Amino acid sequence: MLSTRTIGLGPALRRAVLKPRHGQTQALRAIFPKRSVQTQSLPPSASVDILNKQRLNRPSSPHFAIYQPQLTWLGSIANRVTGAGLSVLLYAYAIAYLVAPTTFDSTHVIEFVAAAPDAVKYAAKTVLALPFAFHSFNGLRHLSWDMGKFLTLKGAYNTGYAVLGATAVSTIALVLM
Amino acid sequence: MSLLRSSVLRPQLLSSARAFSASVARRQAVPTEKPELNKEFKIYRWNPDEPAKKPMLQSYTIDLNQCGPMILDALIKIKNEIDPTLTFRRSCREGICGSCAMNINGQNTLACLCRIERDDGKDTKVYPLPHMYIVKDLVADLTLFYKQYKSIEPYLQNDNPPANREFLQSIEDRKKLDGLYECILCACCSTSCPSYWWNQDEYLGPATLMAAYRWMADSRDSYGAQRKEKLQNELSLYRCHTIFNCSRTCPKGLNPAAAIAKIKLDLATE
Amino acid sequence: MASSLFARSVVNKRISSTFTRKSLRPFVAARGVADTAYVPGGPIYKGTVNDPTTFPPPSKTHGSYHWAFERLLSAGLVPLTVAAFATSGSSYPLLDGILGVSLVMHSHIGFDSILVDYLHPRKFPVLGRVLTWTLRAATVTVLVGVYQFNTNDIGLTELIAKAWHA
Repeated sequence: MLSTRTIGLGPALRRAVLKPRHGQTQALRAIFPKRSVQTQSLPPSASVDILNKQRLNRPSSPHFAIYQPQLTWLGSIANRVTGAGLSVLLYAYAIAYLVAPTTFDSTHVIEFVAAAPDAVKYAAKTVLALPFAFHSFNGLRHLSWDMGKFLTLKGAYNTGYAVLGATAVSTIALVLM
Repeated sequence: MSLLRSSVLRPQLLSSARAFSASVARRQAVPTEKPELNKEFKIYRWNPDEPAKKPMLQSYTIDLNQCGPMILDALIKIKNEIDPTLTFRRSCREGICGSCAMNINGQNTLACLCRIERDDGKDTKVYPLPHMYIVKDLVADLTLFYKQYKSIEPYLQNDNPPANREFLQSIEDRKKLDGLYECILCACCSTSCPSYWWNQDEYLGPATLMAAYRWMADSRDSYGAQRKEKLQNELSLYRCHTIFNCSRTCPKGLNPAAAIAKIKLDLATE
Repeated sequence: MASSLFARSVVNKRISSTFTRKSLRPFVAARGVADTAYVPGGPIYKGTVNDPTTFPPPSKTHGSYHWAFERLLSAGLVPLTVAAFATSGSSYPLLDGILGVSLVMHSHIGFDSILVDYLHPRKFPVLGRVLTWTLRAATVTVLVGVYQFNTNDIGLTELIAKAWHA
């Protein structure tokens, strides 16, 4: 009986078995109404368990991999990455100086930088100036939002483009400084 | 025949339809066949009856000239004519119920308000709302979203209601609620928010926070202090980093990011 | 023989199935509850669908005070950065010191916010706590390092200016 239920033959078998062949059987059926499907009775509280078992199967839908690249959230993650990058540099240098003050003192650092070829200097300056400029200008954008300014979608986009422009200009200016 | 039936549905076409039916009577005009305009839809599928099978994108191609203009029309056409197992929520088909919220071409919006791009030659990708547990295909489990909405007590609370008359409100005070009360709780904004993706078990998300502000801003509500105090922790409100994905995606054109920024300013200056 | 074996196996199966169904039900239910325990961010929620979510205990220190402090600190960095461009660290050591401390605090809040966003202890009970305390230790170390550098060496502003033009 269990196997018929699992392979879904229950209804067909039931129809075959219960098909009225003689009037006698029909009369019997009327006296003994009987379901051939076995049911298991569960308390109402079991519904939560059943639901939770289903929930555990559920996949989580895709998110940043399928979300449209937009200035809004890309700008936000860029703000975090640039800030974290610069801060890691600050932390690394301060800890390095504390551990080995003679290796990482200012004279050695400046000598090291002076000895580098120009291409490396410009590359390093760009790598430092770009996140600094972006994080600074975007920080101003965030501060103006927190004061209640530019809190519209248009404001967010215009200030976003302004930050990108200002970042480009000041990065070039800083690198050439 | 079908044109005649559609004329009943669209009264503005009545006159042309009448002219057409007259010509049919004369058996002269031949209805112009539109050429086939096939477009591919790639739709996220996952079936709870086969939980071991990984979610995948299934491709359907339909003729846009035999379909309504909106993504929801295409989904209904696919369900009716190609694959009845495709599962999605829909109800009003006019952007007021919020049922058909989903991620279409990378943006959260209502399928009934999103036009099919007709002539770009590209496929259209349809995913469920991002970073949600999937009940089936495009149906996301919104239980937590509703539980969070309930947690901010989204109803008027006032211990001293005016005696013998209704609450009165000045025109200016009423105006403060514009752009807040229109939210239909479709969850497009909350599920577009990266902070909500990572911390949705504790962070309330833009939709719920805007609803919270809607009651803080109501001049008739006297529970503003209690409403604000609930948000005084690092997770419920302050996981908002003013990313603006919410306002960018809202299919009703509302601005949850501004509402949240105003809550933060109110909390800091009270 | 064969038929009796068959009959017995059927009877056994019936007995065993009814037996397990009755006797194991509480056990299965108990295991079900254990399997479906609440995990932060998981698909199983606290309470029924009609229970609202709860809030953490209110604390202005973690709420508006933290937020306002972070904004004031960030706003303070604006004139400090401008001043750092205009002056030199060795002639204005106090300004350099304030800038150093502000930058470290700003960085600490930024790192902390990253940890809260991605590696909160409620989801990562071990890693989250370890990293939070590592960050605190690192910040204290960095504060000492910046103090040492600003007192014994030429100071942050001067170092950046000199290295930039080196």
